Amino acid sequence: MKYSYIKPRNKSLLTPELQLLFVFFGITIFMLFTTYAFLLFKDYRFTQDRLDIIEQREETSDEIDLIENRITFIKEEQRLSEDVFTKNTVLKDSISNMFDLVPQRITLSEAKLLENGLVLYGITPNKDIYNFMLQAPLRSIFHRTYSSFYPAQNGWLRFVSTNYIDKEEEMFEEVKKDTQDEDYDEEIEYED
Amino acid sequence: MFSKFYESFYLKVLVNIVIGPTKTIVYIEMLNKSGLVNSFEEAFDTKYLSTEMYEFIHNYTKESPYFYISILDNSLSQGAIPTCSKHKTGYFHDLSASEYKCYKDQWTYYTAKTDVYAIEKVYEKIGVDFIFSPFLILANFFKDKVETHLAMFILVEEGTLSLSIFDNAKLLYSDHLDMNIEIESDDLIIDDHELEDMELEEDDSIDLDDIDTIDDIDELDDFGDIADLDSIDELDEFDETKDVEEELAASEDEEDFPIQDTDGLNEDYQRFSLIQSSVNNFYQSEKFESEFIENVYVGDGVGVSSDLKKYLEEEMFLNVYVRHVDLAVELCEITKMELS
Repeated sequence: MKYSYIKPRNKSLLTPELQLLFVFFGITIFMLFTTYAFLLFKDYRFTQDRLDIIEQREETSDEIDLIENRITFIKEEQRLSEDVFTKNTVLKDSISNMFDLVPQRITLSEAKLLENGLVLYGITPNKDIYNFMLQAPLRSIFHRTYSSFYPAQNGWLRFVSTNYIDKEEEMFEEVKKDTQDEDYDEEIEYED
Repeated sequence: MFSKFYESFYLKVLVNIVIGPTKTIVYIEMLNKSGLVNSFEEAFDTKYLSTEMYEFIHNYTKESPYFYISILDNSLSQGAIPTCSKHKTGYFHDLSASEYKCYKDQWTYYTAKTDVYAIEKVYEKIGVDFIFSPFLILANFFKDKVETHLAMFILVEEGTLSLSIFDNAKLLYSDHLDMNIEIESDDLIIDDHELEDMELEEDDSIDLDDIDTIDDIDELDDFGDIADLDSIDELDEFDETKDVEEELAASEDEEDFPIQDTDGLNEDYQRFSLIQSSVNNFYQSEKFESEFIENVYVGDGVGVSSDLKKYLEEEMFLNVYVRHVDLAVELCEITKMELS
């Protein structure tokens, strides 16, 4: 049975001292958990950074491989370009030499450079000048030389000179040259 | 459940405050599972919560979260009515603006809601858990007599009286009397007497013609009834109503708590006047079930003089038994009952 006019207040264990204690411990636990969470986060970030760096290293390694391949390719290109440049230089020199062969009295109207030959079109005052001054050097260079003439309107002769270098012959000559060298070596050995 | 479990680990601090017109008594009991550990009592010369009182109470309440602050209601608008039925309460008192509680489905005690709020407001700083009615203390203190006797029970507090008449645990009448209010009316009475005296002094001579002797002789015939007083049986019967056991206890009580013989005259007469007028009201009012009162039990909470007993015995022909009561301790007992 209740006798009082009013109801008693709810009694709680949380006295001001206990509240202070709980607040203190609460703050401490909060700070501990915050620190733990911070460390977890840092650990996660570190793992992520490590993975990123590994990935970056792999990417860099791939890029290095790619760059090395490109360098090799560029070096090859450079070598090829140097080859082409050398060939062009040789060709230029050859053409220059070829034009040096043409005497002043003969005029070339067209020249065709073939893989293993040379076709010259031109005009000469007469056959002798052509034979002595142009054909002779051409014959020394090419294996086969064919010339044909037909008269021009001014009395001069138009000519077509077709010159070939036979590769088989060239190879045969090289082989022949090699066998001669071997015979010579044997002779030397025999003499010894 | 957990609360009860935790409660067993702590001391229970019961703070009991009895507010008087000039001083406030604070009684503190500290209890553990096995019983009373310590008790303290201090009186403060204030009727409000002073700094010293706050410090005194706080000093003990901080010991345990399980502290209960009880206050004895000192409202002037309090009382008790002899019914618990809500339909009948209005016949005795309008309870619409009152806080009330039913006691064992027998009677209801009440107080003004505004006074409850006022107490809560005054003691806001320490808080209040219980407010108990002095009628509750009266019923509990005289429990052995209330349940088996037809008698008037009076709780004498500082400045107030709580009066109730019980017939074998059934409340017949109750009244809460305030001495401070009645002082003014007493003063007025005295003034009236003084005025009468003054009038008498003026009329020194008595006009014998005004006395109608022959008519008054008829009235004297009534004295023939005096012979009835010789019936000794009735007188013996009257004597049987005396509570011998209580008389013995009261005489022992007097030795322990010597009743004031001086300085209490005016106050005691005032108390007597209030009791007398209240008893008259009980006999005259049709609201209350009237019974003839022969015994009165006085719970003395302030140390009344023997004059009060003398007045009641001589003027009202009552058998008076005075018991000393420590209001704060009794308040504590009620708090324990409430908590159990």
